[in-house]
Amino acid sequence: MKHIDAATHTRGESQYIDDVPQPEGMLHAAVFGSPIAHGRLLTIDLDKAREVPGVRTILTADDIPGENQVGALIADEMLLAESTVHFVGEPIALVLAETPATAHKAAQMISVETEALPVITDPRVAFEKGEIIGATRTFVLGDVDQAWKDCDVVVEGSCEIAGQEHLYLETQRARAVPREDGCLQIYASTQSPYAVQKGVARILGLPHHKVEVDVKRLGGGFGGKEDQATHWACLAALGAQITGKAIELVLPRHQDMVMTGKRHPYSSDYKIGLKQDGKIVAYEARHYQNAGAAADLSPAILERTLFHSTNAYFIPNVRAFAASCRTNLPPNTAFRGFGGPQGMFVIESAITKAAETLEVTREEIQLKNLLQDHDIFPYGQQVHDANIRRTWQEAEKSFKLKNLQKRIREFNDNHFEKKKGFAIMPICFGISFTATFLNQAGALVHVYTDGSVSVSTGGVEMGQGLITNLAKIAATAFGIDEARVKVETTNTTRVANMSPSAASATTDLNGNATLAAASEILQRLKSFAVKELNLSHPERLTIEKETLLFEGKETGWTWQKLVQSAYFNRVDLSAHGFYATPGVWFNKDKEKGHPFAYHVFGTAAFEVTVDCLRGTYEIDKTKIVHDLGRPMNELIDRGQIEGGLAQGLGWMTLEELKFDDQGRYLSNSLASYKVPDVFFMPDDLEIKLLENVNNTWGPYGTKAVGEPPLMYGIGVFFALQDAMRAFRPEMPLTFDTPMTPEKVLMQLHRDEIEGFKTDSDVMADHQEQPVKETE
Amino acid sequence: MSYTGDAMTRKLVTFKINGSSYETAVREYDVLLDVVRENLNLTGTKRGCDFGTCGCCTVLVDGRARLSCLTLALECVGKEITTIEGLKTDVLHPLQQTFADAGGSQCGFCTQGFIMTAKAFLDEHANPSREEIEEAISGNMCRCTGYIKIVDAIEMAANDKRNGC
Ligand code: FES
Ligand code: FES
Repeated sequence: MKHIDAATHTRGESQYIDDVPQPEGMLHAAVFGSPIAHGRLLTIDLDKAREVPGVRTILTADDIPGENQVGALIADEMLLAESTVHFVGEPIALVLAETPATAHKAAQMISVETEALPVITDPRVAFEKGEIIGATRTFVLGDVDQAWKDCDVVVEGSCEIAGQEHLYLETQRARAVPREDGCLQIYASTQSPYAVQKGVARILGLPHHKVEVDVKRLGGGFGGKEDQATHWACLAALGAQITGKAIELVLPRHQDMVMTGKRHPYSSDYKIGLKQDGKIVAYEARHYQNAGAAADLSPAILERTLFHSTNAYFIPNVRAFAASCRTNLPPNTAFRGFGGPQGMFVIESAITKAAETLEVTREEIQLKNLLQDHDIFPYGQQVHDANIRRTWQEAEKSFKLKNLQKRIREFNDNHFEKKKGFAIMPICFGISFTATFLNQAGALVHVYTDGSVSVSTGGVEMGQGLITNLAKIAATAFGIDEARVKVETTNTTRVANMSPSAASATTDLNGNATLAAASEILQRLKSFAVKELNLSHPERLTIEKETLLFEGKETGWTWQKLVQSAYFNRVDLSAHGFYATPGVWFNKDKEKGHPFAYHVFGTAAFEVTVDCLRGTYEIDKTKIVHDLGRPMNELIDRGQIEGGLAQGLGWMTLEELKFDDQGRYLSNSLASYKVPDVFFMPDDLEIKLLENVNNTWGPYGTKAVGEPPLMYGIGVFFALQDAMRAFRPEMPLTFDTPMTPEKVLMQLHRDEIEGFKTDSDVMADHQEQPVKETE
Repeated sequence: MSYTGDAMTRKLVTFKINGSSYETAVREYDVLLDVVRENLNLTGTKRGCDFGTCGCCTVLVDGRARLSCLTLALECVGKEITTIEGLKTDVLHPLQQTFADAGGSQCGFCTQGFIMTAKAFLDEHANPSREEIEEAISGNMCRCTGYIKIVDAIEMAANDKRNGC
């Protein structure tokens, strides 16, 4: 089934917030943000800006009628700064004017006096200074301290993992429209309508029911609009409440990049111990998460890093520690994978280093330690249906990986400056929100008397195909044509208290809620029909292709007739369905539980060619075997895998976030921040779906697909390293992402650039640096 | 700093867009994207960056793909402008159909930009290779799809055209 919006998308008729005709008298908002990363805010000068013709008013923190607070998990983030600013771009004032251009012009004329305070950009420095958000967390399995003794080899190292800009093509935006009796209607580009409703109510001091949030679709979200869409909607709402006019706020690309958080950079240390045969005995990791200036979702993201710290491997002794460190960067936030990818990168780095020391391939260690059924994760959950070995073997077999590796070796023997590299990346990703209470969803289904169906859920369509899947789920449940089903906007008055569309769980949760509502209506219809048809056993009635069957035989009733007769006999044709994932729980005191309904598995293999004199490279081949359960909609699911892979590859190779030591964002436009373009994608990409897998948790046996494929991208980093090692085996390589062509060159020719240094020299240099600076 | 803003004089001019004439007032520095979206309410054309880097704002000017965020509106007076709305008939345009069939559109925000770029390209290249298609759309960005299904869609449209369907 095609994307349900395919026709309107391709005709340019799909409306995003600012495509909808403006309400009469609507004003446009522009945000003035902090010019410095940390300091006291002494004065704000609005006079010049006020004089600009067309400016109606300018709002600051003093104008907020409710609580000046947008911190959802921890109350540590103001909507508009009061006495202190904590990152460059932190909103200070909101200009409301007749046109967007006027609003932005005026915002540029605002000036502030500040007194600079020390700026921290490095999470390790923040940690040392005690700038820690929430509690530090440690997951433990077995006894690592004892286990080191049993290891034949123990290696240690560190990783510097870069963040990533979301770059949804539709920037953050919201429109707030005042309604009668002090109510507000908010159109927001948010993955979390309820978070916006709560946020606006808090800022304005209103009960939730006075704020209605409606979301039609997002031009991409990827996590960047899970928590951080709230701020912009709150600002628009504040303007609307104060002026009584509709307000629209659209962040220009540059401001969107400067003011919003990104994927978290991590600085991590690892230590891994193995037996000579490659069996991993013990693993320790310490993660310092660069949270930016406020908590945002960082504590939850930190937790997912720990949940994924051993990726797809069973390791009997583990200690994984993680701290969320407060720095003066924009508050970092959710991004596809939600901390999982960083945890997985570190274990893959540890395995790579161990393979070098043991003089075996990475793949030997990986394969030896892959999860098997009933193995235990450090968080106490047993793995079931561990399809990881199946995906690995399937990849080896159908892509003839052994031959591939042989050809790569031959190529490398015969080429000097061009070297090929190879890596396999297995993934294991847990599905469910790790905050157990979020694993709930509601759906409201109406059947109209003409037989058409309306479905509302708490899920948000952001390109992932949710509404197409929901239409298919509802149509399948009723036994009717998909064209009869319309999926409505996501609206807080139809479905309340929804969880964000995140954690890959949106189709699982909302699909199951839709099924619950549909089966309620079906039950009523069948009880009614058996009476009318003088039959018994309503459960023997089915609807197939819009025809009502009894024990498989035609009854002479169509769907339409069934619905119409039921209506005239006063049968309720609407139902609200509810779903709560059964069996998931987690005890934070013990750091043990059963947080995930299930896991998604898969294996990717990469072949790359690196020009070792120029640093440039190509991704020649990417071969993936992915576990989708029973795919509901292959076209959409494959699109998710390809898109996720592209983002993962970009994160590992091209996408380089640059901040200076004063917390100024240097890669603040699409000209300086490079994301994959059409040339970047592997020429030879093959995706196989694992066959004969069922999943009892997903609607009709499906598995979640949104996030996991991103993590395949990690493999390309190690494939590049493999090629680099073929060129200069003696050169120590660092685990710093992204592996830009520049970094390839700098690492391969470090001796010519800075005189040859060993790994420990380089580490010692790093440690000396702060001392030098204070001299 | 002198503020010119909206106060600067506007000129009444006529644009030929999608086969119709539109009279509207523009300033010297107005870009075509603003005129199309704000003055004429043709909102199918999107603003992804306002900086010439994403391709979401692509329209055709005399049949050639142009980034409307970098094109001065006055420059286009007297020329034929086509926006995504101009491709509308009772059935989907062949490119729209193949984008739908191939899954070349996810969130949809980039889609019309790709379609306009591809249209200009296919109008001039009847028999393109995959590499040529890639070259043609290399200025357009998509964050959702990973491009594969977009290239598939354009290839399908080219094949259909060649085979006369
Ligand atoms: S909006 Fe014109 S290229 Fe991005
Ligand atoms: S479909 Fe979302 S950016 Fe291309």
